[in-house]
Amino acid sequence: MATTMKKLNLISLAVVVALAGCSDDDDNSPKTLTVENTLAVGSEQCVNGGTETLTGADSNDNGELDSAEVTDTTVACNAPATSLTASQLAPLTDNEWFKSAQVKVATSEENIAAVVKESGKAKNVILFVGDGMGISTVTAARIMAGQLEGKLGEEHQLSFETLPFSGFAKTYNVDAQTPDSAGTMTAMASGVKTDAGVIGVDEDIERGNCATVAGNELVTATELAEIAGKSTGIVSTARITHATPAATYAKSADRNWEDVSDMPEAAVTAGCEDIASQLVNFEANLEARYEGLDVDGLEVVMGGGRRHFLPKDAAFNSADAVSAVEGDRTDGRDLTAEWKAKYPAGQYVMDQAGFDAIDAESTERVFGLFNESHMQYEADRANDVAGEPSLAEMTAKAIDVLDNNANGFMLTVEAGRIDHGHHAGNAYNALSDTVALSKAVQVALDKTSIEDTLIIVTADHSHVFTIAGYPKRGNPILGKVVPVGSDEPSLAADNMPYTTVGYTNGGGFRDLGDETDADAGYNFAPITGRVDLTDVDTTTPGFHQEAVVPLGSETHAAEDVGVYAVGPGAHLVTGTNEQSLIFHVMDYAADLVKQADAKLAQ
Amino acid sequence: MKAAILLASLLSPLAVAGQCDMNTGFTQADYTVTTDIVANKQHTENTFTLWRTPHQVAKQNPQFIELWQQLRNQQIRPIRYFQHAQRGIEYQPSEVQGEQDWSSKYQLVSDKFLASMTHQKSTGEGCDLTEYYTQQQGDSKIELSWLANQKLLKAIRISTPTYSREIALAASHHNQQKIQAEFAKWDNYQTTDYADIGDNESDPFLAKMINLGFVEHGASGFYDAQGNQLRGEHGHHH
Repeated sequence: MATTMKKLNLISLAVVVALAGCSDDDDNSPKTLTVENTLAVGSEQCVNGGTETLTGADSNDNGELDSAEVTDTTVACNAPATSLTASQLAPLTDNEWFKSAQVKVATSEENIAAVVKESGKAKNVILFVGDGMGISTVTAARIMAGQLEGKLGEEHQLSFETLPFSGFAKTYNVDAQTPDSAGTMTAMASGVKTDAGVIGVDEDIERGNCATVAGNELVTATELAEIAGKSTGIVSTARITHATPAATYAKSADRNWEDVSDMPEAAVTAGCEDIASQLVNFEANLEARYEGLDVDGLEVVMGGGRRHFLPKDAAFNSADAVSAVEGDRTDGRDLTAEWKAKYPAGQYVMDQAGFDAIDAESTERVFGLFNESHMQYEADRANDVAGEPSLAEMTAKAIDVLDNNANGFMLTVEAGRIDHGHHAGNAYNALSDTVALSKAVQVALDKTSIEDTLIIVTADHSHVFTIAGYPKRGNPILGKVVPVGSDEPSLAADNMPYTTVGYTNGGGFRDLGDETDADAGYNFAPITGRVDLTDVDTTTPGFHQEAVVPLGSETHAAEDVGVYAVGPGAHLVTGTNEQSLIFHVMDYAADLVKQADAKLAQ
Repeated sequence: MKAAILLASLLSPLAVAGQCDMNTGFTQADYTVTTDIVANKQHTENTFTLWRTPHQVAKQNPQFIELWQQLRNQQIRPIRYFQHAQRGIEYQPSEVQGEQDWSSKYQLVSDKFLASMTHQKSTGEGCDLTEYYTQQQGDSKIELSWLANQKLLKAIRISTPTYSREIALAASHHNQQKIQAEFAKWDNYQTTDYADIGDNESDPFLAKMINLGFVEHGASGFYDAQGNQLRGEHGHHH
């Protein structure tokens, strides 16, 4: 730095001016020297650069202004630059990350300008719920999907990650820090947060107490859409009586009251109706709640859970029953037969062939029960005895049936088995089902218009699923951590390799090779502690990741989940909000309450 | 039916030795498991009961029952019932080939294992036809007696210089009505898919399953000389 310079060499200076005190040769007084130094941009004295002028007498007459001879120092700083030249900006503007972000900013501006902000403009509403699809699941699934397409993976986007608006939902239940699907889906479907374990009722309910249901029932977006004259549909890869789909149509003091055999005798006697029965009686129950109301019922119901609709009698077994007696109902009712009697023009299907045979354009309604319990994991679907449609296929068929109604439709689609893959500690299946959800959302995007259809994609809650360590870019997401600049896995303090993805708790390590059913892992005891993975292929479908806390089943997690949206009203999906906001966004977009009120007033 | 069997036995001279006219499709077999460890002179005895219908088999310990159902596609579906709680946990049918050996569940020893042993002799006839097998692996000796026409294990003894375990049939019955009633009793227990356990932490029984998970077997299992379980239960090896 100029101020610390011990000796100033005149020759090296930018400007040297020798000022003769006078022209008299006989004058022996020392000459006055002035030195100007150019200060670089970013220098301590002048952030924009400038000039430092040093003045002093050359008392030792050596022709140089030594530091000890400096008697005056002045600094003149340059004015700040008002613009950068193209060449100065080139390192930025030529950079692909920079360019793509600029495009994104421009696109976002256009999206904000273009989104239909006026209420009531969404003719159709589709709510996608990835059960258990926390942020880390979305990230890992994105990488997996990208790597399956031959990319490095991290840069990939799932279909719903391209939606223009997004925010976060706080998932806790009224009585639980870490929530369950019943309470969270009730919040999304009805706009009211409630207790864990209860379906379609508010927090004044006492779980398991039938008597507390009356008076605490909530109205769902599906019911409002039905009253408003729209077509309504529910699709899930879980049992259709499972908590998430059930919260769209049922009111129950306990999520487990899926059929009459699951209910305490007192609840049955007191008049509480099991969830499967409420599904088949959806139309009648809704009409009973509002005087003079006449609705036509759910047009699309597709999922698993056949056992809750059939009598406990082997004579009612379906072709792909996996139990000696498929049905669980102890009241002798065959709800599939009851549905067919109610809707003679509807089609009941239970396998891929039946599903494929549906002509959506001419079909009034569909009731598909493709499995005795939950439908298969996407990765395991090929092993189903009678064949099952994918979530994308069901979404396509559902939209094709529902859009036959000029008044529009309300459809809820759940990827129900992401949650189960995680509970089983098997990332492969959880992520594969997340990718399947992404494909289903893409189908919906392709089949609808953002002009009249609000699509929201979210999760009910997260899981204790982590993406950890320092793997290099493009490292297989299900692989062991291989660090930047290496081809060998990183070793932990115990001198053993470890995987990038893992679980905080659960059943822990299993190496089931080609097994594509995550639930097969439950046949084994939890494994505590670390396992040497040196010779294990951790990318196989049957690999179950290590877990820190040994539990028989991995658990939900409490952090926020993402909410992604496109279409009329989608701009309201922004910031961090209570999960119940989702109902209100759907209501704003489609004027569900207003339209239903108008219908009831007729 | 009995008349038909009688007629068949009259027509075939080999029939008496070759068949058993008991209702072997329905079996209740009580076993005693005796274990001796030489070093500390430890001697333990346990019991279990094997229940069979044509496509279901259950192994009943004092604490719980493991039941396997043979599906039409030959997959095997496990269910575990807990008698005190009168609850059940349903597991998924395994698709892994090694888990598909129905004979290992139904007979306690698999056909494959029997075929690997050396046949020593046969005694008796009809339902009592007993085949004797042995196998020596290093210092381990396995002796097995087999009620061939009932497809029922009579006894198996595994012994080493330091250890021996014997599983012996104490009694067997073929009362179809009683056996079916037993299966029906378990079938009426409230069951839960294991996949759903993680969502049911507020249920005390299921919360216990979350915390404890798989319940280890009682001391009735037995192993070959390499330590592999002979019945192949819960032993994935890749």
